Amino acid sequence: MAGSVLFNSLIVLSFIVAGLMAIVPLPDWAIYYRPEWVALVVVYWVVNNPERVGIGVAWMAGIMVDALTGSLFGLHALGMALVAWLALRLRLRLRLFGVFQQASVILVIIGLQLLLSQWLQFLFDLPRGTNMMFLAPALTSALFWPLAWVLLGGLVRTLDLN
Amino acid sequence: MTADKRFGYMDHARQALGLVATPFFWLADTPARVGSSLGEIFVSRTELLDENARLREELMLSRQQLLLAESLTVENNRLLALQSASALLEQEVLPAEIINVSPDPYSRRVLINKGSQDGVFVGQAVLEANGLMGQVVQVMPFSSWVLLITDASHVTPVEVSRNGERALARGSLDGDTELDLEFVIPTQDIEVGDSLISSGMGQVYPKNYPVAEVVSVRRSSGQPYATIRARPMAQVWSTRHVMLVLEAAEPDFPVLADETDSGADEESSLASVDSAN
Repeated sequence: MAGSVLFNSLIVLSFIVAGLMAIVPLPDWAIYYRPEWVALVVVYWVVNNPERVGIGVAWMAGIMVDALTGSLFGLHALGMALVAWLALRLRLRLRLFGVFQQASVILVIIGLQLLLSQWLQFLFDLPRGTNMMFLAPALTSALFWPLAWVLLGGLVRTLDLN
Repeated sequence: MTADKRFGYMDHARQALGLVATPFFWLADTPARVGSSLGEIFVSRTELLDENARLREELMLSRQQLLLAESLTVENNRLLALQSASALLEQEVLPAEIINVSPDPYSRRVLINKGSQDGVFVGQAVLEANGLMGQVVQVMPFSSWVLLITDASHVTPVEVSRNGERALARGSLDGDTELDLEFVIPTQDIEVGDSLISSGMGQVYPKNYPVAEVVSVRRSSGQPYATIRARPMAQVWSTRHVMLVLEAAEPDFPVLADETDSGADEESSLASVDSAN
């Protein structure tokens, strides 16, 4: 357990970086396609290390995103909790899949998260898209999933944490 | 979420988290800041000289206009005093800088680098060099969120500067950076090219600041309202420097002033203008 502190700080660091990626200003055409970085990181940790990252940590990460984006408190937290729960249910299967097959599951998981937040935005009368473009981040998240998988997996292996 | 939306119980938590989030915003803004400072470093001497000359010229022109405006202000104040109404025609502003843009593509908000520590309050009007920009909606210790006039949930009370026709300008719902004028009946006199200024109604924005310019007007006989689009005057997406209006907007209705007092003020300011001339 010597690497425990290191492992936990790697997890925290990954969430911080994902949070930064979530608010870095993008050019106008790209803002509709911003991947859900924090959700990707949540899925990675839940699938590989459910003993460290569960629904609770995912909720905290969601609160962080809420604070950073100035959105309604709990909007992203609930979404991240949903993502973590789905990933927990599917984790044994996800571990057997190849990385591109995983990406298709990611598409569905993040699509559900976006759908949930769309419903909540409707419920609380917040600004929201009026067409199906609100699902675009699910597609880009799925595209970026292999990158996240390889990057985080590579870090864990390099630091010899597992 | 309900606690946040309906009752504002989360305001304190928001403040605390906002404090923690400040370095994040700073870090996320770094690429843009480094980019612009690199641009400043690698600018050639001739370009700088050109810019300097251009700015000098602009300064001279604006000085001249300011002189004109000053005398007009004085005259206007005198006329208002004759009607025994008092109106603020000058406002103190606090400069601020935009440090981030809302990552949510459906809400048009920006983050500025002034917060409750600098006396920013919710509902404060935000201006840009070319016109009205938006209002503060959420204040954190060192930063605050500004809702832009182009947000779909934001409505700006405006009037046509040409004839004083009033209208409500809402941020367009289909996501581009224009404004829709709502509930304009076809007989109202609004034309393409009209400039819209803030009417001061709603008491959030100061009066008479440029808001937008009408770019298209469509009146169809079957519709109860005309479809009018306007382009905001403020460079909503390309500017980094904004101004916060320190005083709340003056009430739209005339307030009875102490006649002797304002009269004396008028005399002295008129006298100073006379001596300046």
